[in-house]
Order: sequence, then C-alpha cells, then structure tokens
Amino acid sequence: MWQTFIIQPMVNLLLWIYDILGHGPQMFGVAIILFTVIIRLITWPLNASQVKGAQAMQELQNDKEWQEIQKKYAKDREKLAQEQMRIYRERGINPFASCLPTLIQFPIIIGLYQAVIRAMAATPLDMLNLARTVYPFQNVENIIPLNSTFLWMNLGRPEGIPLPFDVSFLPNGFPLLALVVALTTYVQTKLTMPTTPPNPNDQAAAQTAAMTSSMAIYMPLMLGWFALTFPSGISVYFITSNLLGIVQYAATGRANWSNLLPGSKKNTPAKK
Amino acid sequence: MKTNKLKLLLLLVLGAILLGACSGGRATLVNTWAGLSADGSNAYLASGYHVYAVDVQTGREVWRYPAETDTNIIFYANPVLTSDGQLIVGSEGNNHELISINPETGKDNWVEPFMAAKGKWVASPLVFNDTIYAPNSDGFLYILDLNGKMSADPIELGGSLWATPVTDGTYIYVTSLDHHLHIIDPINGVSINTIDLGGASPSSPVVGEDGVYVGSFASNIEFITPQGDHEVLATASNWIWGTPALDNGTLYYADLNGVLYSLDIASGSQNWNGVKPDGPVVANPLVIGDVIYFVTEEGTFLALDRDAKTIWEKEVGGKIYTTPVVSGETLLVAPYQAEFALAAYDFEGKQVWTFTPEK
Repeated sequence: MWQTFIIQPMVNLLLWIYDILGHGPQMFGVAIILFTVIIRLITWPLNASQVKGAQAMQELQNDKEWQEIQKKYAKDREKLAQEQMRIYRERGINPFASCLPTLIQFPIIIGLYQAVIRAMAATPLDMLNLARTVYPFQNVENIIPLNSTFLWMNLGRPEGIPLPFDVSFLPNGFPLLALVVALTTYVQTKLTMPTTPPNPNDQAAAQTAAMTSSMAIYMPLMLGWFALTFPSGISVYFITSNLLGIVQYAATGRANWSNLLPGSKKNTPAKK
Repeated sequence: MKTNKLKLLLLLVLGAILLGACSGGRATLVNTWAGLSADGSNAYLASGYHVYAVDVQTGREVWRYPAETDTNIIFYANPVLTSDGQLIVGSEGNNHELISINPETGKDNWVEPFMAAKGKWVASPLVFNDTIYAPNSDGFLYILDLNGKMSADPIELGGSLWATPVTDGTYIYVTSLDHHLHIIDPINGVSINTIDLGGASPSSPVVGEDGVYVGSFASNIEFITPQGDHEVLATASNWIWGTPALDNGTLYYADLNGVLYSLDIASGSQNWNGVKPDGPVVANPLVIGDVIYFVTEEGTFLALDRDAKTIWEKEVGGKIYTTPVVSGETLLVAPYQAEFALAAYDFEGKQVWTFTPEK
C-alpha cells in the first residue's frame, strides 16, 4: 500500500523530472526542488485552508459571542465545548483545518526520504528495489544511476562543508544546510503565529498559543536534526518547502514579520 | 500547559523515530546480500559485520573476522582468494577498508587495511601479475601490491564500479554503472578503450576467445574486442544483472524478469525458449560439467541440463541474489533474509548442512 501509493509515484515522478531535465550533473537537486514545488501545488488548497482556518480561529478570539461563552461557561467545560462546537458549525469553521497540512507533511517527508534513498540506489539491493519501483513505461536505462551531485553536496549523503580540523560531533563537517533548514523552519513557524494574545478567559486558545510557541522551538530543532542526519536531498526538500510556505503565507498579507524579532512578546499567552 | 508541551515534544520525537525507522537502518543492518567464495576446505561468507570461514565438510564456523563486532565495518563484497594465500575483501563503512585476511587463521595479513578509497567496496578486486586491481564505488580503480600498498596511481574511470575486473591475460576489463566498459592496459596503467553499453553494468564481463561478453541494464549481451569493436549479440526481456557463464561456445544468462537464456554464440540463435522459473535472477549462472545451476529471488536453487530440462529444483528459502559457488563436491548457496546464512548441497540436490552464525 505504502509502496504502491506513496513511494512508487514519488520515485517515478522524481525520475521523470530528472529525465526531462537532461539527467546531467546538478539535475537531481533541481528535480527535488521541482518535485517539492509540485507537491506544494498539489497541497496548495490544503495549505490555504490551514491559513484560512488559522485566521478564522484568530478572529474568533475577538468575537463578542465567543468571549461571552468563555465567561459564561468558564466553570462548565462540557457546556463550553458544546457552545464552541455550535459556533464552529454556525460559522463554517473547522478547528482541525489548521492541523491537516502539518499531518500530511509527515507521510510526504517519509515518502520523499525513502524515494530519494531508493532513487540514489547506493547498494546492489537498493538498485534492485529501484528496478522494481520504476513504472514499465519509463525508460530509465539511460538515466540510472542518478548523478547525485548538487552544488557542493552528494544528495544521497548528509551534508557538511569540510573543516580544516576534526570535530567529533560533526563527522560530515560544518552543517550549513541543517542550519538553513532550522532557520527557514523557524521563520515559517513564527510568521504563522497569531499577532494578538489569546483571550485570558479562553483556556483552549491559551493552550493552542502555548503549543504554537513550543512548535517554533521544537520544529526547527527536529528538522535541523533530520537535515544533519539524513541525506541532503531531504534538506533540499525542507528548504524549498519552507520557502514556498513563507511565500504562500506572505501572499495572504497576514505574515507577522515582527514575530521574527527576538524578544517579541506579542504572541505570548496571557497569564491568568 | 506543561502537559501540552510534553505531548508536542513526544509527538515530534515520535515523528523523528518514525522517519529514522524508515532509513533501513543502514548503520545497524546489512542492506544488501552477502558475498561468497570458497576454497577446497572453507567457504568464506561476507555478511554484515563479519567475514565467516565455514568448514565445507561440517558447516561449522572456523573463524570470523573481526572477532569482535565493529559496527563501522560492513561486508558484502565477495572475498577473493589470491594465489599467495590471502583472502581480500572490501567493506562498506566509515573508513572504506580493503582488508587482507589470512584464510587459515582469520587474522589480518597487512600491517593496516587500505583506506585511501572514498567509496564503499561493492566489487571484489582482481589479482593479476602480483598486483591487486581494486575497483571502488568512488569511480577509481586502485592498484596495489600484495602488501596492500598503492603501487601505481589509481585510474579514474568514473561512475560507480561494482563489478570485479577480468583479464584476458593482456588487458583488464572493468564495467561501470555509468554505462561504460573500460579496457585497461595494465603495463601503462591507462584506459585504452571505453565502450558505451547503453545501460549500467553491475556485473563483470566473461572472457571469451577474442574478446569479452557482458550484459547490462540495456538488456543486451554485447561482445567486445580488445580493440574496442563491439556488437549486440542478443537481447533480454529485462535488465541483465549477472555475469553470463560461457561454456562450450554457449552463453548462459538470465534477466530480472526471470527468463533464462542459452545463446549459441556461433549462430547467434537461442537454444532455449520460454524457460522461466519462479522469479527474477540476479546471480550469475554456474556451469559444472553438463549442469547449469541458477538461483532465483524466490529462493529456488535449480539444476538444468543443456536442453533446459530440470534435473532438480530446491526451495532454499529467503531470496537468493548471491552467486552459488562450488567447493569440491559441495554446492554453496547464501540466501538473503533466510533462516540461515549459508547452505550446502550435494550434486544430487540434497541439502548437506546449513550455517547460521552464532551471536
């Protein structure tokens, strides 16, 4: 199932793009970038609904009816939940719409990771598996093996710029790409944070704000670690995806650039 | 609030573990099939963290190299026995070590392994005129003396070199995944001819009277002379992975669709038609006397006569990609992902023993 619906289409799409690019040096990196653009275009409506959902949720914080039910049912959480659901229904808001694109990212990341490994075919068994993965109509004899060189990187291996001295915890050298991955993830997460603090009476909003705030720390660290550990082809995907995400969010005119500045307290949840 | 942060952190860690689990565990698990060779007394199985010497009479482990597991070294290239009594094997790992082992004791032969290559060792080296020609996946053919020291500058051939070079006694033939076959003049250490095969070739050519025969992912069998003349002799229904076996003017080969071929070289006609066992064939055919042995990915070991009539067929188990070898009266098969790592059969197809390394 996973193989048929995720890995195989991804590998074949990557190989197809690589083939039409002329399968020369640098082209596998370009293929990953184009692949990411295609994935972003496919998930564009989902991402747009995420942005829309987040905006609607944010606007709800300032809504009088919403604030009233927070006060009125502050001590009856069950009733509060019922009322919140009623408002969601009435206004056509899906409270989970903002989570879906993030959840969809995970199978894409895992699938892409496996697709890159599969396409690079570093061992005989990988090569054999690649032969199985290719659709019959693709003539890949000409393009296999792939040229994994992109800029200074081997896309099948973790990235690192050689250092003139040995650093035991940096076996691949200076991890420039991992830092860029962490930075762009941080920027993307921060930009999407609410500009206004949540209503102090709205516990759910305060919790969401706290989680978003934590995401801004943990997500860059986690993706940075992925970039440090896994083949640099994944890092190329992360960076491209992050940059496109930033562009997409900025295009809505809601990007909160002031959040990027250190010490910005605007999004800090109010203490009770 | 702390609970939510903890939940988020756990979720992210779970995601990290999930992605890590999808890596195939390259650092801890062997990600390809074993290498195998044998002499009159031992089989040498390069599998995972060790090379095992296994007594061909009893199936018992004689020694393993290294004695203690070193997770930085992974073996899967076929070990090569040299005429001066060395067992040479390359490894995948941080140092890309090419190692010489004493086949009697299992101890290191060289003062230190050869570690100048930048890629993993998928191919076994060729030993010719007291010189080791070692192709590496970094695209270089390394030239060493029998003490493991570089005796000449490496020759850059390009691509990834996964196949053992062969020699006709004058020239050395090396295939590359970059679709080329290189003809090397060992005296001058230069490539004198390069032939485009139209597809990657992960296997060695086989040497004939006036040239070599080689298969490739272009699904062709090509004949190539030392002068670089070449022609397609036959095609296959899918990629040809293994080295063809040449015997009495007939080439035996197979493809990834699992079709077996017997090509009469003189007439260019196929002797067999529609011979297709239960799965793809990656390993080389083995010809002993009038019997041709094939192994399939489905774990089947079969013996055919020259008319493609099945003499016997055995379910070994696992998947078989490693070329079977013969030691005296014993046929050795190394399945991948089977209950055992090595099995011995007699010429009647009766299983004599199996070997599973002790932990």
